[in-house]
Amino acid sequence: MTVNFEKVSFWYPGAASAAIHEVSAEMLAGEVTLVTGPLGAGGSTTLLVAAGLAPQVTGGRREGAVSTLGVDPSTRRGRAMLRGRVGVLLPTPHTQLSGMAFSVHREVAFAPANLGWDRARIDDTVERAMQLMGVSHLADRDPTTLSGGELQRVVMAGVVAMEPELFLLDEPAMELDPQGAEALYELLPILAESATVLLASTDVDRALAIASRVIVLDRGRLVARGDPEEVFASELAAAKGATTSIAHIVREAGCAEPYPITLEAARTRFLP
Amino acid sequence: MTLRVDDVSFAYGTNSVLRGVSFAAEPGEAVALLGRNGAGKTTLTKLIVALLHPDAGEVWVGDWNTTGRTPEDMATRVAYVFQHTEQQLFARTVAEEVIFAPRQLGVSRRDAEGIVEEVLGLVGLALHRETHPYDLPPAERKLVSLAAALAQRPQLLVLDEPTQGLDRSHVLRVCEILRAQARKGVTVLAVTHDLTVVAEGFTRALVLDDGRVVVDEDVVRIVASEGRAAELGLSVPAGPALSRALDLPGFPIRMVEVARAMRSRFGVG
Repeated sequence: MTVNFEKVSFWYPGAASAAIHEVSAEMLAGEVTLVTGPLGAGGSTTLLVAAGLAPQVTGGRREGAVSTLGVDPSTRRGRAMLRGRVGVLLPTPHTQLSGMAFSVHREVAFAPANLGWDRARIDDTVERAMQLMGVSHLADRDPTTLSGGELQRVVMAGVVAMEPELFLLDEPAMELDPQGAEALYELLPILAESATVLLASTDVDRALAIASRVIVLDRGRLVARGDPEEVFASELAAAKGATTSIAHIVREAGCAEPYPITLEAARTRFLP
Repeated sequence: MTLRVDDVSFAYGTNSVLRGVSFAAEPGEAVALLGRNGAGKTTLTKLIVALLHPDAGEVWVGDWNTTGRTPEDMATRVAYVFQHTEQQLFARTVAEEVIFAPRQLGVSRRDAEGIVEEVLGLVGLALHRETHPYDLPPAERKLVSLAAALAQRPQLLVLDEPTQGLDRSHVLRVCEILRAQARKGVTVLAVTHDLTVVAEGFTRALVLDDGRVVVDEDVVRIVASEGRAAELGLSVPAGPALSRALDLPGFPIRMVEVARAMRSRFGVG
């Protein structure tokens, strides 16, 4: 198991209630795991806890056992062991720029350079990452002059360039146009061939095609987990809005579960 | 209030972004502004609220030309929701953020309090009155910006990605709010990438490409055919797709209407 949570709770500093509460879940290598749920469900917090950024950077308090790539990310030893192995993409890419690079190329090279890789390896990984994210043409641009979508792609290229074993991606397509979002989502299973991908997103419609496992949270508590097709067809997930738009409409029409989650399934169910 | 963008061009230095953009939006119209990343959508919205001024051409909000006017002048007519809330939010509590504009516009404290109550209820943040905006996750912060914009009681409402990162129930709520604004006679213009949002909240769509308006069409027409949407690099949202697949009468496109049509057609519920 790449990431394992056992009864994990987390409180932000000064918060009366837990952002996630006794969550147990596992994320496996070779898979894309989707964490979803209504606004404030705890998906972002789950990612931050898995990365060890919570409580390290956020402050606050964690309970329960977390294992990320075999170590506890909140301990000093864990942090040392995880250096360069976990790639995190925050939902606000403009806050994630290094601020120390004056070109997109330098920005993408920032993390690999800090990991002390040799020049040839850095050039190689940066070129590949920029190509994968479709930002090669922006190589000489100043990162601070990019549009929201361009910036999100550049920051993601920086994460890809690190060649992490674990990707923790929080709404990675939030700023992207539909074509860009589609391309990014198609990339995730490819990244998962040699890594574990944990994706926090409310966009179930888009994630359905690429997620092999889903965790549904609501106000920090685990609601459902397992095979996406089963989970999204269930009332348990649909009642929280954590399902596809097709299933949502069918449920609104008053039909019973299991809900058809795709257009084809709806056609089969309603047309003779 | 009528918005008129007349042959507007704009460049950041030598980087030309808009090249002769023209369109008008009338009171009661809800217009969605689509286009690829870097197409100039955000730039266009900033020209409307006088955060930027055109290099050539004119932007008119009612009988005001934005040239020579400041964002503060424009605020009496136009409310703007930024794409990134940290460019907008500054107060220590959600309520303070929302009351700022009406107070600046001369509304009495008592009346302004009433407005705060109303708009926070509308966006679903009534319980977060005293919360620090930055203690909210980015997506919910966007709702604070929207509440602050509504509190301005604008005649023109301009929004940059108002539903980014929101879950379905909040997306539908925001779309409902925008529809209600348009029904009241407000002119609504919103940048979005999400065709579901367009189908739920808007009547007309503009597509910006290479600095020009290349599509100006009725929303129903765009979502009615797979082909038309695909041409624009978009996919048909679930509502109209279901409506067409099941051949629902009247071709409803909003989720709630599609569900209603299914209920009467298939006799469920």
